[in-house]
Amino acid sequence: MANKGELLLEMNKVAKRFGGAVALKGTDLKIRAGEIHALLGENGAGKSTMLKILAGVHVNDGGTIKLGSKDFVTGSPQESINQGIAVIYQEPSLFLDLSLAENVFIGRQPKKGAVIDWKFAQSEAARLFKELGVELDPKRQARGLSIADQQVVEIAKALSMNANIILMDEPTAALSASEVDRLMTVMKSLKAANKAVIFVSHRLDEVFAISDYITVMRDGATVSENPVGDTNLQKVIKDMVGRELTELFPKTEHKIGGVVLEVNDLTNPAYFRNVSFNVKKGEIVALAGLVGSGRSEIARAIFGIDKYESGTVKVNGEVLPAGSPVIAMERKIALVPEDRRQQGLFMVAGVDRNISMESFSALTDRGLINFKKERSLTETWKEKLSIKFANQSDPVDRLSGGNQQKTVLAKWLATDPDLLIVDEPTRGIDVATKAEVHRLVDKAAGEGKAVLMISSELPEVLGMADRVIVMREGKQVAELSRAEATQEKIIAAATTGKKSA
Amino acid sequence: MNFLRRLKPSSREGSLALILIVAVGGTGLINPRFLTGDGTRDLFTSTSVVALLAIGIAPIVIMRHIDLSISSTVGLTAWVVADMCAKNPDFTWVQCFVVGPIIGIAVGIVNGLLVAGLRLPSLVVTLGTLYIVRGFVYVVSNSVDYNAQEMPPSLLDLGQKVFFGLLPFTFLLVIIAMLLMGFFMKYTKSGRDAYAIGSNPPAADLVGIKVFRRTFLAFVFSGFMAGLAGVFYLMRFAQVDSTAFYGQELAVVAAVVIGGVTIMGGSGTVVGAVIGALLVQTIQGGLAALGVDAFWKAAVNGLLLIVAIYADRVLAVRSEKSLLAQRIRERV
Repeated sequence: MANKGELLLEMNKVAKRFGGAVALKGTDLKIRAGEIHALLGENGAGKSTMLKILAGVHVNDGGTIKLGSKDFVTGSPQESINQGIAVIYQEPSLFLDLSLAENVFIGRQPKKGAVIDWKFAQSEAARLFKELGVELDPKRQARGLSIADQQVVEIAKALSMNANIILMDEPTAALSASEVDRLMTVMKSLKAANKAVIFVSHRLDEVFAISDYITVMRDGATVSENPVGDTNLQKVIKDMVGRELTELFPKTEHKIGGVVLEVNDLTNPAYFRNVSFNVKKGEIVALAGLVGSGRSEIARAIFGIDKYESGTVKVNGEVLPAGSPVIAMERKIALVPEDRRQQGLFMVAGVDRNISMESFSALTDRGLINFKKERSLTETWKEKLSIKFANQSDPVDRLSGGNQQKTVLAKWLATDPDLLIVDEPTRGIDVATKAEVHRLVDKAAGEGKAVLMISSELPEVLGMADRVIVMREGKQVAELSRAEATQEKIIAAATTGKKSA
Repeated sequence: MNFLRRLKPSSREGSLALILIVAVGGTGLINPRFLTGDGTRDLFTSTSVVALLAIGIAPIVIMRHIDLSISSTVGLTAWVVADMCAKNPDFTWVQCFVVGPIIGIAVGIVNGLLVAGLRLPSLVVTLGTLYIVRGFVYVVSNSVDYNAQEMPPSLLDLGQKVFFGLLPFTFLLVIIAMLLMGFFMKYTKSGRDAYAIGSNPPAADLVGIKVFRRTFLAFVFSGFMAGLAGVFYLMRFAQVDSTAFYGQELAVVAAVVIGGVTIMGGSGTVVGAVIGALLVQTIQGGLAALGVDAFWKAAVNGLLLIVAIYADRVLAVRSEKSLLAQRIRERV
C-alpha cells in the first residue's frame, strides 16, 4: 500500500500518433496516492488516448511513463492490470450474460485446486458491494442493471484486483444527481484508502467539487496542472478552449406564439402518469428530473416509439395517433434521442447518408435518390452547424462526439420540424461544442420551432429553458417559469416532489 | 396448482429435458417400441454423431463464432480412417481412435489460425474450409468406397457394443464427453472466458482475457470432436464414400440452438446442446413412426428451430420486463 502523497504515476512527454494523425504530443501527468485527479480537455484533446495507453490498449511511441520507481510496461490490458492499473470505461464493459460475481472476477477467478471457487467469488463480491455501499446480489445476471450499478460492479472489479490507480472515463455522464453523489462517496473512500483516482469529466461543477488536482489537455498536450485551490472555472475553461468562451448559454428572447404540442393526461403506468403540458411556438420547455423519472419515456411516447395507455397528444391542434413515428414525422415532429451512438446515428454510414436519412423524399427524382441534392444538403448543414469532417462519405464513427451530436441535429433540422425534441443534447461533449449546440437549439426556437428539451444538467436547464417541468418518479411535480426557476427549486421538486425547498 | 409449480423446471436444461420426455412419451403412444430398451438404444445410436459434434461446437457458438466445416471433417476422417484400415488389415479400433482425431485437429488448427489469428469472421472461414475439405475428400477418395469387410472387426464390434441393453458404447462416450465439457465450461477459467468472449467480445480484450488462445483452442477442440465423430460414423454405418455426412453441419447447429445455446453467444450449456440433439432425433423418429415422408421431416426440423428461438426471445423479453419492474420497485 502506497503512502499518501507518494508519486504513483509520472508521465513525461508522452507522444502517440496514429498513421499521420498526432493524438498526443508531449503529455505530462503526475498522480499521487490518495488523490482524485481530474483530467479535462475538449473532445479530441487526447484524454482517451492517454487513458488507453495506461490501460495497455495502445502503446506510446515517445516519452516515458513511470509507476513509482519502476518503468511502466506497456503491451496488453493484462500487463496493465498486473501493474495495478484499473480502467473504468465510459460505457461499462460488463458481460451481460454473466453473474455479477463472475463479472467482478472475470479473468482472475479464485480457484480451489483446479476449479473455480464460486462460493468464495460470490461472498467476496458481496463484501465488495457492501464496502461500496450498494448491496447488489452477486448471483444476479448483469443484464438489466442500471448504468450506475454497472459502474459499481466495475469499481468492485478494480478493488478486487488491488489496483492502486483507478482511471474513470466520464463516469458521471449517464448518471442522475443522486447516483453522482453515490459515486463521489465511493471515489472519496478510494482516496481515503490511498488509491489514486484519475477521472475524465465534462461536468465542471463536479470536477471542482471533488478533485484535488486538475490537469487540462489541449491538442494532445498538457497545458496546465494545478491543485484545485490554485485555479478556477474561468481559468480551466480558458485552458481547455484556448480562448475565452463568450457564453455557454447563448439564450435570446423570442416571440412566443401559439401552442404546437399539447399533451393531456398522458399515462403509461410503467413510466409516467397523468402528464399534461404544452409547448408553444418559439418556446424552449425543459423536462427536468432525475434519470429514470420518466422524461425520455414521455418523449418516446409523443414521438410514437412507445405506446401509452391513456391520454392524448395534440400537434398543431390535431390529435396525433399513438405508436407511429412515421405519422409523428409527417406531422413535423423530430426527436434527437439521448443515445446518439445506439439510437441517433448509423455509425458506419457516411455523414452524408446520416444527414439525408430523414429527408429522402426531398432528395428523390422520380423515386430515385439524387446524389447531387444529397451532397448539397450535406454541405448546407455542414456550414450551418460547422460540423467538422474531411469527406462527406466519412463514417460518423470517425467523428468526435461533438461532431456526431451535430450530425444528429443536422439530420433532424433538415426535416424542418415544427416540434424539436432533444434528449440530453450535450451529454458527453465538450464545453465549446456544448455552447454551439445551445446556440443551435436557441436558433431553432428563434425560427419559430417549439422545442422540448430533456436535460439532467441543471445549468443547461436554467440557461436555456423558458419553462421548466420537473418530473419525479413518473409524476409531474412542478412547473416553473424562467423567472421562478432556480437550481434549489428544481432539485427540491425532483427529489422530494415538493415545490419549494 | 402448487404441485405443478413445483414441477416447473428452474433451468433451461430442465425444461428441455421435460420437453424431451414429453416427445419420447408422445412417440411411444404411436409406436410402443419406442419406449423399450431397443427403442432407446436406437435413439442413442442414431444421435451419437450429431451429439458429439454438438458438444464440439457448443463452446464455439458460446463464443459467438460458428464452425460449419465439421461435416466435411467428419467425411474426411471417416474416409481416410477407412482407407488406412483397408490398406493395413492388422489395424484395430485403437489406431482408428488415434488417427481420426488427429485429422480433425489438423482442420481445427487451420480454422483456429484463420479465425483467431487473422480475426476473420468464422462464418466465412469455416464455410470456406467446408468446401476445401470436402473438395479434398473428393480428390483423395477418387470415387473409392469402403464397406464393412474392409474395416477392422474390432471397431465394428465396438460400434455394436451396448451396456445394460440400452446404452451403446458410442453414446457412453458422448455422455462422458458431455459431463467433462459441462464441468469444464462451468468450473474452469477457460470455460468461463468462453462465455465472456461471446457475451461482449471487445470487453473480453479489455479485461485481459487471452482471446486468441481461447478461440484457437475452441476450434481445435471442435476439430478433434469432428475427427472422433468421423470414427463414430464408421462404427454406425460401416461404410463410407466421398459424400459421407454431406450437408449435415446445419443440423448440428440447429441441435445446439434448440438446446438453448444462443446463436449470439454468451449463454447456453453443453448439456443443453446434447439434449437438443436428442430432441431433434426423437421428433424425427416420431415422424417416421407416423409415416410422415422425408420432406416433411426436414420442414418440421426447421419449424422446431424457429420455435426454439422464438421461445428464447419470449423468455428474454419476459426477463427484461421483470428486471425493469424490479428496478422500478427498488427505486420507489
